[in-house]
Amino acid sequence: MILEALEREGVEYIFGYPGGANLPIYQHLPEHPKLKHILVRHEQGAAHMADGYARACGKPGVVFATSGPGALNLVTGLCTAYMDSVPMIAITGQVNSTQVGRDAFQESDVIGATSSVTKHSYLVTSIDQLPRVIHEAFHIATTGRPGPVLIDICKDVQMADAERITPERLEIPGYQLNGHVNLDGAMAAAQAVANAERPVILAGHGVLLSHAEPQLREFAEKAGAPVGTTLLGIGAFPVNHPLSLHMTGFMGTGWNLKAVQNADVLMMVGMRVDDRVTARLADFAPKVKTFIHIDIDGSEMGKNVRPHIELVADAKNALETMTPHIGELHEGRGKWFSQIDAWREEHPLKYTHSNGHLQPQDVLIDMYKRCRSEAIVVADVGQNQIWAALWWNYDRPGLFLNSGGSGTMGFALPAAIGAKFGRPDLPVWCVAGEGGFVMTAQELSVAVEHKLDVKIVLLNNFSLGMVRQFQDDFYGGVRSQVDLTHMPDFVKLADAYGLPAVRVDKFEEIGPAMDAAERTKGPFLIDFRIDPEANVYPIVPLGKSLNDFWEAPDK
Amino acid sequence: MSERERVRVLSVLVEDGPNTLSKISGLIRRRGFHVRSISVGPSRQAGRSRMTLTVDSGHAETDQVRKQLERLVEVIEVEDVTGEEVHSRELVVAKVAPSQVAGLVERGAKVLNTGADGTTVEFAGEGKDVGDFINELMQHGVVDVARSGPVVMRRTA
Repeated sequence: MILEALEREGVEYIFGYPGGANLPIYQHLPEHPKLKHILVRHEQGAAHMADGYARACGKPGVVFATSGPGALNLVTGLCTAYMDSVPMIAITGQVNSTQVGRDAFQESDVIGATSSVTKHSYLVTSIDQLPRVIHEAFHIATTGRPGPVLIDICKDVQMADAERITPERLEIPGYQLNGHVNLDGAMAAAQAVANAERPVILAGHGVLLSHAEPQLREFAEKAGAPVGTTLLGIGAFPVNHPLSLHMTGFMGTGWNLKAVQNADVLMMVGMRVDDRVTARLADFAPKVKTFIHIDIDGSEMGKNVRPHIELVADAKNALETMTPHIGELHEGRGKWFSQIDAWREEHPLKYTHSNGHLQPQDVLIDMYKRCRSEAIVVADVGQNQIWAALWWNYDRPGLFLNSGGSGTMGFALPAAIGAKFGRPDLPVWCVAGEGGFVMTAQELSVAVEHKLDVKIVLLNNFSLGMVRQFQDDFYGGVRSQVDLTHMPDFVKLADAYGLPAVRVDKFEEIGPAMDAAERTKGPFLIDFRIDPEANVYPIVPLGKSLNDFWEAPDK
Repeated sequence: MSERERVRVLSVLVEDGPNTLSKISGLIRRRGFHVRSISVGPSRQAGRSRMTLTVDSGHAETDQVRKQLERLVEVIEVEDVTGEEVHSRELVVAKVAPSQVAGLVERGAKVLNTGADGTTVEFAGEGKDVGDFINELMQHGVVDVARSGPVVMRRTA
């Protein structure tokens, strides 16, 4: 009955792992060939795969796990999806309803453990609840601000016979999608941006989730306002557009931060305005007279920055409502653009080419050339993530995936695998450091088993690079527990898993290795041994304001 | 912000389900709020309970308490009645020495039971009156006291 319900919801893939408390579901899985089950090697991998699948194709990712340790292994993956508003359905087995609370074998309070990292959750103790719960769960996961929903199903319920019940009409009194929409300030917001002398728009993940990229572009062009994106908003606005400010936040570009800190009107759309965007909150955008905040989730209004004008709606709806109200633009706009151009020239992205070591930026620039704006790039967490974000050069939206809110190391490989299942028509590149990569490297087996064209770009600096950089710069230069000299030989590791791999130490070897990766059908790994001292710049020192960003030293 | 300004009084209509209380209390903890008082009982509608919460918003913006509660699917309606014209009633039940009873009854207390070890009285009123009532009990050596959180209803115009 669970599997029938999933078919009804249009599920194609399930990422899962069987165990004692979900065996009844697995017993009937072969009767449902339309549901393709991907056996992972660890439940965390299943959650990240479902996450990558959902981010890549927009449909909710579905996960199965058994009770106790199986379900608890999902927690990191659920949190990752929750923080980044990714639709996901996790179906976990629970002990028999009569055993709940008796500390039965592999029993754990999964609802209790996951409540704070799910949009909603259900414990199903009776078969009568099941059709309604599954239908509701998909609705809640995919609508409004998306997120993961967990359904914990007792084993006896999984075995219960039931008439084939078609789900009741959806009636969820505590979940009203349009109840909070408020666009009263749309005209005032549009006029505030148009009348601003120094406007800036910042765009977040919400723009991508509501597919509002064309609306954002139209609004920005008509209102003559430059657009920066958050880390998760990358792709919401073409980086090569003359109005682009590229990435904002404490590792954003210098010209972006200068623009934000000097803006008189700041419009923030589809974003949470978290600490990575604002740096020291008291000094965030200090010259702004009018903050405009647009988000589908009304609780984001004033959570971090109190807006003067707030619009509670999805980004597309809000931008479409605002655009007709753009009047005449402030006459000072030309001066503002020249000022931004000057900052762009004064604070370009830069790195050291020639110190004898392989530079990560050279690797990524080569990779992005091959991507031609039409491959999915999944980054892990740490320096690799920020390098991949800053050297992004796409004009198309939605193809850069990473764990922004949760910052989950080990995300990239399983998420890239999930992304490939979601978008088999697109090349998928996985960018990771060696630290994060080994956290979920067991999922290489899944890539090999399903002959997935996932190209793994390992930026291997033999250390926890971002932590090392923070220790060097902000923690007294004490390098503590960041050395990763003792790691597997990644070419041999790949061989053991059954995929081809090469090692690259020199700039000249980048092209041929990438050629080999592209020529190869199925997964391929390149172990790029990069400069162990390479750092991420710009960076705002911890606790400082966006004004205080450091740039790459001239060497 | 002063402590007084941080405290919100909320009347919350919720699903009467096994997860509701833990979801609400979990949310309050996670967001750094603090519960000052809570009372809950059945509402007029079947399957739904009415909860009166007094919550300190901590370092968050005060309206976050209502907004975050509204995000829970188990929560149907949140009414922030802080500073509004409301009936706010609390109940105290106390076991007192027989010598005190007459004075307390004069203040409006009702005798529930009289036994060998003392007399049990109840008193209902606004929070401040209940506080004063308990203070007086304390001065005379009260045996035992139990106090409810407030139950709140908006005054009709």
